[in-house]
Amino acid sequence: MGVAIYDPKSDVSGMIHVMLPAAFPDRPVDQIGKFADTGIPALLMAMEKMGANKRYMRVAIAGGAQVFKFNNTGANNLDIGRRNGEAVIEQLTKAGLRILAKDIGGTHGRTVTFTVPDGKVEVKTLSQGVAELCYLADNRERSAA
Amino acid sequence: MGVIITIDEMIDRTADLPVIPAVALRIMHEADSNTTSASQIAMLLARDPALASRVLRLANSAYYGLSGQVFGLKEAVVVLGLRCVKNLALVAASYPWLSKPLHGYGLEPKDLWMHSHGTAVAAMLVAQRSGRLRDDEAFTAGLLHDIGKLAMNVWLERKTEALIQLSTLNGWSFVECERTVLGYDHGQVGGRLAERWNLPLSVIDSARYHHEPDERPDPSLVVDAVHLGDYLASVLGFGLGADGLQYALQPNTLVRLGLHPQDIDRIADDLERERRLQAESFEEIVA
Repeated sequence: MGVAIYDPKSDVSGMIHVMLPAAFPDRPVDQIGKFADTGIPALLMAMEKMGANKRYMRVAIAGGAQVFKFNNTGANNLDIGRRNGEAVIEQLTKAGLRILAKDIGGTHGRTVTFTVPDGKVEVKTLSQGVAELCYLADNRERSAA
Repeated sequence: MGVIITIDEMIDRTADLPVIPAVALRIMHEADSNTTSASQIAMLLARDPALASRVLRLANSAYYGLSGQVFGLKEAVVVLGLRCVKNLALVAASYPWLSKPLHGYGLEPKDLWMHSHGTAVAAMLVAQRSGRLRDDEAFTAGLLHDIGKLAMNVWLERKTEALIQLSTLNGWSFVECERTVLGYDHGQVGGRLAERWNLPLSVIDSARYHHEPDERPDPSLVVDAVHLGDYLASVLGFGLGADGLQYALQPNTLVRLGLHPQDIDRIADDLERERRLQAESFEEIVA
């Protein structure tokens, strides 16, 4: 799941690719951005170090695809895509950040592009091609799922 | 709709199907026999100098941390193990055709390679965590699980959009849609292709049943590992095509493998790292 954050006031932006909801307490974290619970706080800290302020940050998230059917009950834990989405939203909420636009779930893969300084977030899918999700620089939300 | 031609006719009429080098095929079978020696595998490999030189470079790649220390083929087999060398030969042999684009599946160059290699590493990790099957066998079967797509590709080229619509409207998996439109799915075609190539049974079965392992009359742990490996590689976004994740997950596979749902996140964590490290080391050698 792609998480793109932009603070237009300080012109500081950042992005991570979250692959799992939470790091494991008994394992070293080799890629801090890989987990929602380590990646989002680390990204915010890095951005703040560069002069960004949470108060002005705007966020877009996209990804979290999932298989369309789990054949049995008790398989909820296997639902990595959905759990990534929940964990990302939980971390962002905890940090007091507002999500301007999101395009999550479904069964299709997405490629997320984030350009600065306009903060344009685009999502590419095989069925829809490239679609603008939002502009984080000026609060414009083009299309949100 | 319905069946227009049989699977065999379809395979016969598909141009540009890849060929598995004879030496790689022999090594696959030798590695499964109990009587093979390091010298035999090295002698076999030496018959295909192009393949042998890439295997040697893979053995010396940063991934194994033996850089520049493995001088000969026999040494490679002794140091890394013959089943590891078998998979290196297979990686080198399959990369050229797994890295081609498959427009019928919306796969750009290298997408199918990324997905196949990701599934191979994932199936290997599933096998290691399960402890109930050989990890090298799971890797081999994972690497070749989608060979059916190589044959199905041209027959799907103008039908992909219709298949996705069918799948979205009816809530069918992509293999159900393939069966409805073409009469068979990429698993069935892959299984037949693997039979015709004389690949090991675990590869044939994994190609055929990887989306529906419960359908195999007698469950196979290798197929189960490839099913979970395919799911993990897909959910982490490795080389997704037009079919995306429009598939069903069969959690009975976990039970048969003796795994718990919480194992899956740990395997996914390992998968992200192992696949990245292997790809960084291997790709410039096999490309």
